[in-house]
Amino acid sequence: MADQPKNEPPATPEATPPSSPQRSEGRPSGPPRREGGYGGGGGPRREGGPPGGGPGGPRRGKRQFFRKKKVCRFCVEHVDFIDYKKAELLQAFVQDRGKILPRRMTGTCSRHQRWLGEAIKRARNIALMPFATEL
Amino acid sequence: MEERLYDLIFICRPATPEEDVNKIVATLEHSATEHGGKVDKVERWGTRRLAYRVAKHREGFYVYMVVRGTQGDMIKELERRLKVADPVIKYQTIRLDEELKRQSKLARHRERRAGRRPRKPAATPQAPPAAEQASPAS
Repeated sequence: MADQPKNEPPATPEATPPSSPQRSEGRPSGPPRREGGYGGGGGPRREGGPPGGGPGGPRRGKRQFFRKKKVCRFCVEHVDFIDYKKAELLQAFVQDRGKILPRRMTGTCSRHQRWLGEAIKRARNIALMPFATEL
Repeated sequence: MEERLYDLIFICRPATPEEDVNKIVATLEHSATEHGGKVDKVERWGTRRLAYRVAKHREGFYVYMVVRGTQGDMIKELERRLKVADPVIKYQTIRLDEELKRQSKLARHRERRAGRRPRKPAATPQAPPAAEQASPAS
């Protein structure tokens, strides 16, 4: 049972759904979950590893993942005032449902994040941006 | 008292006729001047989609004004008028002069720093000490 999921995907991931009736005695929900995992998480991470770790390896020692340093977009453009009326600009700093993205995701510096949060809240108040998107 | 700058946005019902909007703008301008203020700019953004439902409307007619004045009573009066105006479904006043002041201060500061930078020679012989510190630790 435990060995099956590891062996299946390398052989023929697309062929598993048709042939699953034979093996799926104990796990009817197996195939969909595995497909999702390979499409979303596994692929990009594995691709990103070798380019960063290979050339950077000798210089950087044991660091395998090379993460590009995020730069505050507002600092680069020398923004001194974030306008709450530019909802299209602010839209880039919220999630799909309207949550303000954290600094660790966008790379915004603390000062600009403070201004940005204020601007987004102002835009929300006057219905330029959603508090939460309705579904 | 020093002069203050405000952003004033209000949203009318989408079905409001143009002359009603003009009437509201005119009354706001009138009461602003009455309180010793001045309307610098009036922008009609037109009918826009609202990000959420306001008074059961999904769209609204946006009007944006820039007002400057010295008395706080002026804003009180403008907001009261917007509150009683029937076609207005939402309004917001934001004081901006302090932020603009901060903005100009930062711009000045940056200019001064940019002017000073060329004179400073580049001095970065710090690579060897960093390597020495790193080796005992490992």
